[in-house]
Amino acid sequence: MELILTAPAEPDFRELLRRFELPLLQYATRILGDRERARDVVQETFVELQRSSREQADYAPAKWLFTVCRNRALNVCRKEKRLTYLDEELLERRESEAPAPFDQLAEKEARGFLLRIVATLPPQHQEVLQLKFQNDLSYQEISEITHLSVSHVGVLLHTALKTLRQRYTGASRDFLAFTPRTP
Amino acid sequence: MKINLDDPNLTAYALGELPEPARAEMEKAVAASAEAQSFVRETREFATLLETDFALELKEAPRKAINIFPLPETTSFWSDARWLSIGVAAFLAVCAVVAAVALSGLRGNLQTSVADNRKTVGMPTTAATPAEVQMELLAEATTDRVIVTGSYIPTAESESALPVSIYSSESAPVNGLNEADKMATADYGHFEENPFLAADTNSLSTFSIDVDTASYANVRRMINAGTKPPNDAVRIEELINYFAYDYPQPESGQPFSINLEVAGCPWTPEHRLVRIGLKGREIASDQRGASNLVFLLDVSGSMEPANRLPLVKQAMRLLVDRLTENDRVAIVTYAGSSGAALPSTTGDRKEEIIRALENLEASGSTNGASGIALAYQIAAEHFIKGGVNRVILATDGDFNVGVTSPGELVRLAEEKAKGGIFLSVLGVGDDNLKDSTMQKLADKANGNYAYLDSLDEARKVLVAQVNGTLITIAKDVKVQVEFNPARVASYRLIGYEKRLLRKEDFNNDKVDAGEIGAGHTVTALYEIVPRGAGSDPAASVPPVDPLKYSPPNPMAVASSFPNSSPELMTVKLRYKEPDGDQSALLERSLADYGAAFENASSDFRFAAAVAAFGMVLRDSPYRGNATLAGVIDRAQGARGRDEAGYRAGFIALARRAQALAF
Repeated sequence: MELILTAPAEPDFRELLRRFELPLLQYATRILGDRERARDVVQETFVELQRSSREQADYAPAKWLFTVCRNRALNVCRKEKRLTYLDEELLERRESEAPAPFDQLAEKEARGFLLRIVATLPPQHQEVLQLKFQNDLSYQEISEITHLSVSHVGVLLHTALKTLRQRYTGASRDFLAFTPRTP
Repeated sequence: MKINLDDPNLTAYALGELPEPARAEMEKAVAASAEAQSFVRETREFATLLETDFALELKEAPRKAINIFPLPETTSFWSDARWLSIGVAAFLAVCAVVAAVALSGLRGNLQTSVADNRKTVGMPTTAATPAEVQMELLAEATTDRVIVTGSYIPTAESESALPVSIYSSESAPVNGLNEADKMATADYGHFEENPFLAADTNSLSTFSIDVDTASYANVRRMINAGTKPPNDAVRIEELINYFAYDYPQPESGQPFSINLEVAGCPWTPEHRLVRIGLKGREIASDQRGASNLVFLLDVSGSMEPANRLPLVKQAMRLLVDRLTENDRVAIVTYAGSSGAALPSTTGDRKEEIIRALENLEASGSTNGASGIALAYQIAAEHFIKGGVNRVILATDGDFNVGVTSPGELVRLAEEKAKGGIFLSVLGVGDDNLKDSTMQKLADKANGNYAYLDSLDEARKVLVAQVNGTLITIAKDVKVQVEFNPARVASYRLIGYEKRLLRKEDFNNDKVDAGEIGAGHTVTALYEIVPRGAGSDPAASVPPVDPLKYSPPNPMAVASSFPNSSPELMTVKLRYKEPDGDQSALLERSLADYGAAFENASSDFRFAAAVAAFGMVLRDSPYRGNATLAGVIDRAQGARGRDEAGYRAGFIALARRAQALAF
């Protein structure tokens, strides 16, 4: 048997790790609300990448990684009975909580202000915003990752941006961060 | 076409997501509507704003995330991600075994890219299992060339049948086993565990006490991050001494109590385990003398992450909160250049102190030496006789400018320490923690060394045990144990490898040793092979030949004429008062009445569990039948009162280590 060697596949892996590790971590953190758990999930995702047949992952690595990461994060939510953004209950509770006042508009200039508003959006909106604007994924890719139709993704993004802009341009209510909690 | 501003397609259009022909249609419609044009413009502007903030979020996220692979520095903005990845390559190799499928994919890649490179090399034809190939790729690719040994079949391109460099220099090197060591710059001085020594030829065992706890916090950090701590980072005595034990207070007039206990050895049932436990006199907070503290803070660029300078600032605030007008604080910073950020200020002016702390920012490179000199100078200027005079150094230890050889730095601190000023070293950070430098620094400069991995740990070191951290009860505390060769075949000191002293050093007051703080407990364990226990590990070491000219070793004679003393050993301690030069001696003897491990005190059992944990982590040859499951089990049964929850934390840590299965 003869093997012909050239640069092995690992550089791709490293490249993927470099490119996606933090975005995935951030993504999983938004789903889980817990950085430690998110770290485990991302680690598992890359381990799975190592194990998997690479065809899928090589063809569309972002889609592959975000899909696997999302599934694993949701599994953790299920296993640990965390409320996730899929849970109606949490959404209802959020609605019933009194909105925190937010009047320091000077802070608007501050970095990260926008993300604090993002955190007040419904979780599904946060997710598509993050996939689109942090990870530059297309409607099509987001649709495949989240198992939603492309038009549904379009509606979510449209609505999310609209709400975001409204809140950004002066609304001072409903500043309440979304944090999944164990019941 | 009338435009509806609430049409999701308009947003999709603005974001360039509308496919043809819908896009062209929308373009026309937008061109006809000023309202739609401004909507599109605003949407795009807003998208840019969002992208910027999302990008910042990534950039500001904690650098060290997961441990899969070490990454090289790059020029991209990911470059700050530092990697500490030890043992990960081995893990990947395991993955490779699991996934032979991956290899077939890999082979495909290998084959197809040959045409591009026109560079090929034969591979050994013998039994290259997927794991081996993967390992080889990982290991060899760390350099820019692959050296293949074994038999090859020459290919058309490499008729010479010589190994050919196949990685052109522009191809990124793959990180692997070797690279892991290079990338992680954390530095742990290497040490071998103490072996078993025969009691008849080595009847004296001498060491300096160690109150450092840094290794435990550091090991905890690594395990929590999913990494197996490197062996040299696991210093078992520091793991044991991280925990407080419920030893009684010393009799009045003495600086510490000595508490000896012997019972079965849980990991090797034929052996015995001896515990030497010291407890420093407790001093109530209101009885603490006035303090003269100098915070020496590393503000170099590497201190920027949240778990470094920001954590240090919070930790210092905890300490400042507890100071009174009798106390003084100064802040000295060091980076490229050093300076006093706050002159010595009394403890009632908290706002001033806190403001000075808050104003510190991390930037520049690190010159540890000039800062140390300045800090000691300020401490000396405000020296309080009979009070607490201490420099508190907080750093990630990455001294990279100026006097940088650890030896020089340590000598400088050692010299400064002679003036009665003690040192506390607080280590932070992970990837470039110069653990061994900091340990030496604390050791030589009459100090203690703690690693802060969290605010909780800061609270333990600077609030709960602040007196132990700040007030030295006795200095240069040395332990010498004389074993009775009639009862002990051989013995092994667990941990303290870096604290061993020569037997002559015990009575030599010029030889420096460890300090014990108020209320501190210090614990040392000896594993003992009793006479007649069957296999003696020390016996496998060939004894030296009998001497030809000198009379035989008197100890050897002693063992051949067994004395009738039931005593196992005598423990002697020498210590100096904090401001004294002359040592005093304490002595205790211990006899073994055969207590079973299960009947030992909970402190004894807990310390044994922690020792076993350390040995398992180190994969020690002396671990016997110790397992993490056993560690958890024994620690569970030995939690005692555990008011602060440290022992519960240990059990959780052992569980996590068990789950990681390393």
